[in-house]
Amino acid sequence: MKKNRLLALGLASALTLGLLAGCGGKPSAPGSTSGTGGDKSNSGAKPAGGVELTVVTSYGGDDGNRSNYENAVASYEAATGNKIMDASGTSNEEWKAKVLTDFQTGTEPDVLFFFTSSDAEPIIQAGKVVDIATIRATYPDYADNMRDSMLAVASDGKNYAIPSSGFWENMFVNTKVLSDCGVAVPGPDYTWDQFLADCETIKAKGYAPIACSLFEVPHYWFEFCIMNNGTLGEQLAIPGSATDAVGQKWAAGLNDIKDLYEKGYFPVNTLTATDAETVQLFAEGEAAFLIDGSWKINYFVDNYGDQLSDYAISYVPAKGERKASEAIGGISMGYFITKKAWDDPAKQAAAVEFVKHMTSDDVMSTFVTTEVTALKNGASPSGLNPLQQAAADANASITGVIGPVQDTITSESRTDLFANVQNVVTGKMSAEDAVASALALN
Amino acid sequence: MKKITPAKAGTYAVLTFWALTTLYPFVWVILNSFRERGLIRKDSFSIPLPGNGFTMGNYDKAMERFDFGSAYANSLIVSIAVTVAVVLIAGFAAYGLVRFRFKLRGVCYSLIMAGMMFPVFSTIIPVFRMEAAWGIASSGNRWLSLVAVILPQIAGNLCFAIIVLMGFIESVPMELEESAYMDGCNVFQVYFHIIMPAAKSSFATVAIFSFLWSYNDLFTQNFFLRVPREKTITLLLNEISSQAGVDYGLMAASVVLIVVPVLVVYVALQKHIIKGLTAGAIKG
Amino acid sequence: MGPTLYRKKAPLIAFLLPAFVFLILFLYYPFIQNIINSFSDITGLGAPAQGLNTPWYANYATLFTDPKLRTALGNTVLLTICTVIFQVGIALILALLVDSIRVGAQLFRTLYFFPIVISATALGLMFNLIFLYNGGMLNQLLTNLGFAAENIDWKDPDHFLFTMFAPVMWQYVGFYFVILVTGLNNISQDLYEAAALDGCTGLNRVRYVTLPLLRNVLCTCLVLAITGSLKVFDLPWVMFGAGMPQDQGWLTGTYMYDQTFNRGNVDYGSAIAILIVVLGVLFSNIANRVFKPRNDI
Repeated sequence: MKKNRLLALGLASALTLGLLAGCGGKPSAPGSTSGTGGDKSNSGAKPAGGVELTVVTSYGGDDGNRSNYENAVASYEAATGNKIMDASGTSNEEWKAKVLTDFQTGTEPDVLFFFTSSDAEPIIQAGKVVDIATIRATYPDYADNMRDSMLAVASDGKNYAIPSSGFWENMFVNTKVLSDCGVAVPGPDYTWDQFLADCETIKAKGYAPIACSLFEVPHYWFEFCIMNNGTLGEQLAIPGSATDAVGQKWAAGLNDIKDLYEKGYFPVNTLTATDAETVQLFAEGEAAFLIDGSWKINYFVDNYGDQLSDYAISYVPAKGERKASEAIGGISMGYFITKKAWDDPAKQAAAVEFVKHMTSDDVMSTFVTTEVTALKNGASPSGLNPLQQAAADANASITGVIGPVQDTITSESRTDLFANVQNVVTGKMSAEDAVASALALN
Repeated sequence: MKKITPAKAGTYAVLTFWALTTLYPFVWVILNSFRERGLIRKDSFSIPLPGNGFTMGNYDKAMERFDFGSAYANSLIVSIAVTVAVVLIAGFAAYGLVRFRFKLRGVCYSLIMAGMMFPVFSTIIPVFRMEAAWGIASSGNRWLSLVAVILPQIAGNLCFAIIVLMGFIESVPMELEESAYMDGCNVFQVYFHIIMPAAKSSFATVAIFSFLWSYNDLFTQNFFLRVPREKTITLLLNEISSQAGVDYGLMAASVVLIVVPVLVVYVALQKHIIKGLTAGAIKG
Repeated sequence: MGPTLYRKKAPLIAFLLPAFVFLILFLYYPFIQNIINSFSDITGLGAPAQGLNTPWYANYATLFTDPKLRTALGNTVLLTICTVIFQVGIALILALLVDSIRVGAQLFRTLYFFPIVISATALGLMFNLIFLYNGGMLNQLLTNLGFAAENIDWKDPDHFLFTMFAPVMWQYVGFYFVILVTGLNNISQDLYEAAALDGCTGLNRVRYVTLPLLRNVLCTCLVLAITGSLKVFDLPWVMFGAGMPQDQGWLTGTYMYDQTFNRGNVDYGSAIAILIVVLGVLFSNIANRVFKPRNDI
C-alpha cells in the first residue's frame, strides 16, 4: 500500500517534471519572448519582488568574506523584496563535484558563484549557463562596471562569469618571532640563500621557521618554488613529460621543498598536521614564515584582532631569475546565471539584478581590500586595518603577478601531485616520478 | 548482609574502569567548552572557574550564528520517520525470512548481507539522480527535501535491522506460535501478538540504532539538504566546526550542544528502553 | 520441517515486499549502476560515462597492482581482526559481568552506551583534541606526569595505528555490548535455575549455558563486525583524511571515498566498492560457516 502510493508519487512527480521541462524548453527557443518580458521588468527599474532565488557560492564555511557576503545578500533582499535561498558551501573538490552533479540532474541553482577556469567547462559546454553577450542584449547595463578585457574567456571564446574579487598569494611573517631571533623583515630583494640562513637562525632559537602543513596545503610552496626555478613569464607552461625542461623545473621546485623539509624548517608534524594547526603556530608566535593568500587577512582580523601588528606581509625569497617582488595572483571565480533561471520569466530579472548587486562597485568594495578586481573604477575599500595596510604597502612594491599554474591542470592531476609531495620529501618517491604520475592524469 | 567477594570487587573494578573511559572524554569536552579561548592548549584539565578562564562565550557564539530550534526539529522529523519505518519493515522481513521456508530464501538472505556492505558513497549519486527525477531532491521544498533524505536512510538501515532481528527472532521458541495458530490466529496476528512482544527488546535495540544512525549520519544529509531551513543538527555541527578552524572552545561547545539533547533524551527514556531491553528476562 | 502455521506462503509476499521495494530502489538499483560504472570510463563525479574502459576490466587489473589499495586492505584486515577480538571480546566480557551484578547494572548500561550516541563527526573532533600534537589532552597528560619529555606526534607512522584504531574500538564496544546484553536478557531465567539445580554455576554456567545460547547473537555480532570494519569511514576520515601518514593510513572505506569524491576517479572507486562488497560477503559467509554449524540458511 504505502509503497504503491510512494511509487505513484514518484511517477507523478517524474511526469510533472517532464511536463515542466517541456514547458521550460519552449520560451527559450524564441529568445525574444523572454527578452521582451525581461525588458519590461527592467524598464520598471525594480523587479516585482517576492521572487525566490537559489544561490550557490563558496562563501560558506570559514571563508574570510562570509560575513561580507551575508551582508550583501541581506541588502539585496531588503532592496528588492526578493528572497535568497543560500546553499553555499566551502570550496573544495567535493563541493565542486556536488555543484556539477546538480547541473547534471537538473537541480542547479539560479545563480552560481564558481571557478571560471577549466572547472566550469562542463557546465559551459552543456549550455547550462548564459553568456554575458546574451544577457546584455536584454540588459545592456549588465556588468558595465567591469573591464571586458579582464573577463574570463571560455573555450568557446565567450564570456560567462562576472568576476568577483581576485586574490594574491605572498609571504606572511611573524614580526615578533623575527625580532626575537634578530632577523630583519625580508624586503623585495630577499634571496633564497638569505632565507636559508634566516631559517637556521630561527630554528636554533627553538621556533619552527616555516608554518606549513605539507599534508594539506603544499600548493603554496609548490607554486613559488617552481617559479624560483624558472621565470614569471614561463610560470604557466605545462610539462609535456617529466624529463622536458618544464618537467625538470617542476621537479627542481619539488626538490627545493624536500631540501627545506630535510633541513627541518617545517614544523615537526608538518606531514600529519592540518593547515589550521600550522597557521595557528604562526599566529600564536611559534613559527616565523607562512605563505598564504589574501583571504587569510580576514582570518587574522577575526581571530587575532588585538595582535595584528605582530604580522606583516613580506616577499617570498627568490632564486635564479625570479625576483622576490614577483607573486602569484589573479581572479579565479565569478558569478554565473544559469539557463534555468534565465528561461524562467519570473526569475530572470531577479537573477540579473542579484548579480549586478553583488558585483556593484559598492558591494565589491566591501569584499576587496588589497586584491585585484576587474572593476573599471577599481574598488575603494574604506578603513584598512594595520595588516591590510601592510599588505597594500607590500603590494606597492610588487613588480609582477601571474596566475597559479595548478589552476590550469585537471583536478585529478592536481590532487595527485599534491598528495605525492609528502612522498617526495620523505624520499619514498622521486620528484620526477611525482611529476610523471600527475601528468599521466592531466 | 552482602559480603564482598574478591570476584565481585574485581567485577566492579573492571566495569568502573571502562565506565571511566566512556565518561571522561565527555567531561573533558564539557569542561573545555566553558574555557576561554587559548587556554585549552595550555591547560585543559583544571576546572574552569569564574575569574579563572571560565566563559560562556563559546555558547553565545554558537547560538548567535545558528538556528538550533529548526535544526533540532528537522533532525527529529527525519530520525523518527526513519526509525518507525525501519522497525516496521525490517520486523516484517526478518519474521518472513526466519519462519517461512521457501526457495529463494538463501538468495534473499545473501542479498541482504550484500546490501549491508554497499558503501553509501557508491549509491548516493544514482539515488540523488533518481530522486531529482521524481522531483523530491533539491526541490527547494523543505518537506520534500526531508523525504528525500528519509527514503535512502530507511533503505540504508534496513539490512542491518533485518540481520539483527533475524538473530533474535530465531531464538523465540516456536511452540507459542504453534499454539496461537491452533487457537485460530492468522500469521499477522501471530506476528503482532506473539513475536513482537517476545522480541520486544530486540525491536527496541534496532529502533535505538536506527534513530542514532539517522540522527548522526552526515554524508546523506549533507548531500540532500542544502539550504538553511532544511539543515539538521548534524549539519550545523559540521558547519560550525568548519568555520571554527582552531577555535577549540567553539568546537567543544558545539559538540556539547549536539550531544547533550540526545543524551538527555536517552537518559530520560532509558527507563522505558531498559524495560524494553530486559522484557525478555524475568529478573528480580 | 516448519510447523503448519508457515505452510501457506501467501502472507510471505506481504512480509517481504516492503523491505525489498526499498532495497531494490535505493540499494540494488544504484549498486547495479555502480557495477556498470566500474567498467566504464568516467572522468568526473556526476559526469556521464564515456563508453567502456579499454580494456573493459582495466579497473580490476589496477586493483591488483595498486600499492595504496594493498596498504588499505592490509590495514582493514588488521582492523577487522582487532574488531573481532577487542570490540566483540571486550563487549562480551562487559556484558557477562554486567549481567552478573545487580547494583549499578543500570548505570553501567547507560554509560557504556554513551559513545554510540555521538556522531562520528563530533567524536572525530573530540579525538582530534585528545590526540592533538600541540597541547592535546594526551600529550598534556604525559608531559605533566613526566612520562614523556616532549610531545608525541600521535599521527606519525609509529603511532597512527593506535590513534586510528583505538577510537573506533572504543566507540563500538558499546554497540556490541548492547546487542549482547539484549541477547543475555532473552535467555530465560528458568534455564539458569535449572542449571543451578544441576550444580552448574559461575564460569561453568557461562561456558555450558550462556555461551551456547548466545551463539546466534554472537554470530550476528561477528558478521556486523566484519562488514562494519570493511566500511569504516567517518572517524578515520575526520581524524586522518587522505591516507595520513604518508599513504600508510588508508582503509578500504577512506580509499574508496578519496578516489571517488576527491580525485573524481569514479569508475575506479566503483571497482573498490565492489571489492568491499565481495570481500564482506566472503568473510561473513566464512564466519557463518565456522561459527554457526547448525546453519540452516
